[in-house]
Parts: sequence; structure tokens; C-alpha cells
Amino acid sequence: MEHMQSPSIVLVEDDGPLRTLTARALRENGYTVRTAATGAEMWVALEGEPADLVVLDIMLPGTSGIELFRRLRRQSDVPIIFVSARGSEEDRVLGLELGADDYVAKPFSTRELVARIGAVLRRGNSNGSDSAGDSGQRSGDIHFEGWTVSMARRELHSPSGAMVDLTGAEFDLLATFMGQPQRVLGRERLIELSRTRLGDSSDRSVDVLVSRLRRKLSAAGGNAPIVTVRGVGYMFRAEVNRA
Amino acid sequence: MTLFRRFGLPERLLAILLLVAGVDFAANTLLFDRASRFALREDDAARVAEHLVIASRAIERTTSVDRARVARDLSTPRFAFEWRAKGRRASGSVALAGMREQILDVATELDRADLQLHLKSMGASGNIVGSVQLSDRSVLQFETYASNAWTLNAGRIATLLLPTLVLVVLAWVLFRATLAPLGTLVRATRKVGAGPPVAVAEQGTEEVRELIRAFNAMQQRIHQSMTDRTQSMLAIGHDLRTPIARMQLRLENTGLDSETMGDMTGDLSEMRHMLESLQAFVETGGSQLKADRLDVAVMTQTLVDTAADEGRDATFHGLESLEIIARPVSLRRALSNLLENALHYAGSVRVTVSRDGDTAQIAFDDDGPGIPEDRLDDVLQPFVRLDTARSRDTPGMGLGLPIVHRAVTLEGGTLQLRNNKDGGLCVLVRIPCAIG
Repeated sequence: MEHMQSPSIVLVEDDGPLRTLTARALRENGYTVRTAATGAEMWVALEGEPADLVVLDIMLPGTSGIELFRRLRRQSDVPIIFVSARGSEEDRVLGLELGADDYVAKPFSTRELVARIGAVLRRGNSNGSDSAGDSGQRSGDIHFEGWTVSMARRELHSPSGAMVDLTGAEFDLLATFMGQPQRVLGRERLIELSRTRLGDSSDRSVDVLVSRLRRKLSAAGGNAPIVTVRGVGYMFRAEVNRA
Repeated sequence: MTLFRRFGLPERLLAILLLVAGVDFAANTLLFDRASRFALREDDAARVAEHLVIASRAIERTTSVDRARVARDLSTPRFAFEWRAKGRRASGSVALAGMREQILDVATELDRADLQLHLKSMGASGNIVGSVQLSDRSVLQFETYASNAWTLNAGRIATLLLPTLVLVVLAWVLFRATLAPLGTLVRATRKVGAGPPVAVAEQGTEEVRELIRAFNAMQQRIHQSMTDRTQSMLAIGHDLRTPIARMQLRLENTGLDSETMGDMTGDLSEMRHMLESLQAFVETGGSQLKADRLDVAVMTQTLVDTAADEGRDATFHGLESLEIIARPVSLRRALSNLLENALHYAGSVRVTVSRDGDTAQIAFDDDGPGIPEDRLDDVLQPFVRLDTARSRDTPGMGLGLPIVHRAVTLEGGTLQLRNNKDGGLCVLVRIPCAIG
């Protein structure tokens, strides 16, 4: 995928003034924006020319937001960020289960929305270049040594089935490790990968992140599958299965 | 009177029944029984008098040699005579003075014969023995039965009371059975509002059924009104989000000076925070999300790490792993609220995860000002704020701890707040551990 011109975004939002304001803010940040007030308008906008990303307000009038979501996911792999006016956790979980790439709760600032869009677009690009398949990476479950990682919900479950909380940075680090199992990853590369995925520069040292992740992966007993390669970096030694 | 008020409905009904039975018993004894007793007594007296007169006349005319034999001959199983030439005579008992009077009314000649009556002390109950003196001062003794009416002994009282006792026991059982649906109703009343309404089965008497029907309808109305209130709160929250989002984006285009921008952005983010806490409070009660197995130690530690990474003074102690069954979203929000509270009011917090038997304990200790003892319960009430309006500097709507309380209660756990002896507040969350 080449990006000579600015990324193209389809914005679906039923509130007229908010649609105008959001579209203007995104254009000012260098995106090409097409707007739609309803699900029907969205289909028209998507048929005209492909989009790099859809920003979707889930509580649209007319076709239920969820139904629209399902149809869109069936017909296209376009990344989706959904905006929830309710902002409830139920919505967030449902949206991510349905295959959304990220979630923004109303009200949001331009900075927040632009950061999310940037992160999702970067993730899509790096998935394309990584050896890991993009669709599997986005929504499938990944297993290693009894652990289960849900990429859609960004959740980690222990071999006993318990949910183990990770911070965003820790999850991104784990995802990076799982993308390159049994390969030594230099510290510099890990810092770079983590920063890209976070879309936010972090001065937290990778070593602290690694030690926290290790602690969580060994808390319930057993050894964490991350080994230190002295002077070089780290290696994820577990076998990774994608289901 | 207070004692009477403490009686339950069955006891009162029983008391009423006893009163009625008592009055009935008394009336019977005093009126009916008395009348019949007089009749019986007169019969008895006449019978005794006739026997005595005939027997004493017959024996008077017999020679003293034959008298003992004649006395035996005159005896029947129900009226026995015995003649003695002389002997000591027991004086009559006062209890039978009435009978003696009646006998003498019928046969005046027996008065001269010095009739003495007394109850036979042993043996057949109610039997009367007596004696008369003949003209030659010899003694004619007799023994006969008397009707029960003469003696109101314990056995007779028991016989009279037995039907009443059976009646009382039967009444008690029936009262309890009749009033049982009321107990069900009381238990159901205690649960109103604590969950979706469960209709109480209609049973019992018509009045009780009527009450249960009315109760079920009331339950529905309360639930409906609570649902309506919840829905309108959510709708308000939802509808406000769009205009706030518009304001946020408009503000970014105004080109105001950075100080005003910063202040207004702060105001908008406070409004957003309020909406979120209102929504969290409303939703925590009736969360649609299922409970799942989760590691509460890791969850707590992650929150502490995140706060510490932001440069705040939060430290984690205790277990590294502890699994429980809970709703992750509401529990995470609850623990986060407690962490934020401590950091806001005290500036630092020590979080300790431990296990006490089958209970997971998460303790938040701080060195802050604590909460006045008399307000410890208040802070769990929604919309209660401890800081006065003037010194108000806390964002939110006073829903932080109520959200925690709801979330913890939802998992069958408890929330305890107490002031430490050496200052500071200790908030203790206890949640049952996962089995196995």
C-alpha cells in the first residue's frame, strides 16, 4: 500500500454540526475526509472510492449501529474506529468484539482522535510489513504455553482462564514479542516498535516494561517465556499458535 | 400493653380465641352447669334420703341380734349398709353440708338421727359415706355414690377443659397456615428494589391474595419507576455528550489565549468526568457484563504501576497473583477510584493485596486527613461530598465511593472504611476468592 497522498477517512456521524466540526479538524490534520450522516450514505461514500479508515458513530439512527458494523466488517477489511456516545464499557467490549480497531468515547478532543487514527493506520501498515497476517493479528486469538491473547479485546488470559491486566504499553510489547517468537530482539528495536504502536513517545524504559511483563507471566507459577540475551536484548522463547 | 403489642398476629388471634373459650367455659359453669347440678343434687338427695329412711325404719324394728344381717340384706351394690352396736362416728365434712341440708329437707326425721356425711377419702372417686344414729344409739353406716356434680375436682376440670385445649392447638396450627403467606410477603418486601421484581405467588385467604396482588402491582410500579429514572439519567448523559463534543471541537478553533483555552478544556473535561461517573454509578447496579475469572493482584498492581509511572506516590505490596470471579470492568473502576481518592486526599497510597481464608483483601492505606468518624457511613451515599461547597476542589459528583460500594457489593464483597490510629484512612475491599 502506498501513501503518496493523504490517508482517506470516511466519517459517519448523525449530528450535523459535530460532523462538520470533526471533518474540519481531521482535514486540518492532513486527512482527506468524506462524511456520511447515515449508514446508506456511508455505503455510497465507500463505493465511490476505497477508504483507509472509517470513523463510525455506533448510535446512528436508521440501521442499527451494530448491524451496520457487522455488514461493514463482512464486506471490507478497512480499519474502523468507532465513536460511542454512551461511552460505556459494554459498548467498548462489544465494538472490539465486532472487530473494531479502536474506540473513542464522546466527547473527544481533536488531539485524542487524531492520535487514535494515527495509531490505527500505523498498526495497519506495520502489520502489512510484518510476517504476521493482518486479519489474524487484528481479531484472532493467539496462544502460547497455555496463555491466550485476544488481539481484538487486547486481553491476556492465564492458563487457568483468569484475565491478567496489562497496560497498553505492556500489551504492545507482548504483541511485538509474539510477532517474532524465538528471535532475539535488540533493545533499540523494541523501543522503536513500542513507540510506533503506542503512537506516543514513552520515556519508560523497555527494561522496566519487560520486567513487569515477565512478573505477570510468572505470577501464577512457572517461568516467564521471555529470556534476556546479555548485551543484545530479549527473546520470546515460547511457541506461538494462532487460532 | 407493650407486651400485647409485641405479640404476633397468630398469638393475638389465639388470645382472642382463648378469651372466647374462657367466657364460654365460665358461662357454662356458672349458668348451665349450675342448673343441671342443682337437678342432679336434688335427685341424689332424694334417693339418699329415701334409702336411709326405709333402712333405718326397718332396722329399728329388728332385734339387735338380726340387725347386722338385715343391714347386709338391705344393701345393694350401689347403696351399702352396715350396722354397729356402737362406735365412734366421724363428724360430717363441711363440703357436704349442702347435701345434708337437702336430704334433711326431704326426710326431717333424719335430723333427729344426727345424719353425718363425708367423702370417702380413698378409693372410688366421688363416693359418699355417712352414718345415722338409731334411737338406741346404735349406728347405721352407709356408703353410696354421688353424682360428679358434688365435687369439682382436677380430673373433672381437665375433662371439661380438654375440648378447649384440642381446639386451641387446632386453632394455632390453622392460624399459622393461614398467616404463612404474610411471612412470604414480608420477606419479599425486604427485597424490593434490590433486583428485578419477582412476583409473589398468590396463596392463602382472599384477603391475603388481595394483599399479594396489590404488592405485586406495587413492586412492578416501583421497578418501572426505577428503570425510568435510570433510563432518563442515562439519556441525559448520552444527550449531553454530543454538545460537549461540539464545544470541545469549537473551542479548539477559537484561537483564544492559551490560559483561557486551558481553563475551558479543564471545565469540559470535568463535565465529561461527571457524566462518566454518573453513568458508571447507574450502570454498576445492573451491569450486563458477566463475571469472569481474573487476577485481582495483577489488576491492582497494574493500576498502581500506571499511577507510579505518572510520577505519583503509589506503592504495591503483598501477593503477586490472586484469582477471583468478578466483573473486570466495574472492579477495575472501583479499585481505580480508591487509588485516585487516596492520591487526591492524601497524596500517597500503599496498596496491599492479601488473602484471608477464602477472601481476597485489597487494602488502601494513606497518610491523609481521614474521614470524621460520624461521616464514615455518609460517604457511601451517592451525591454526598465531604468538602463544603466553598472548598470544593474535587472533580466529580460525589459518586466515587458509591460506585466502589456498588461494584464490591455486586461481587458479594464488602467495603470497609476506617481511620488508622496514627492518622490516615484505610479502605479495605474484601471479595470472595475463586473456588479451586
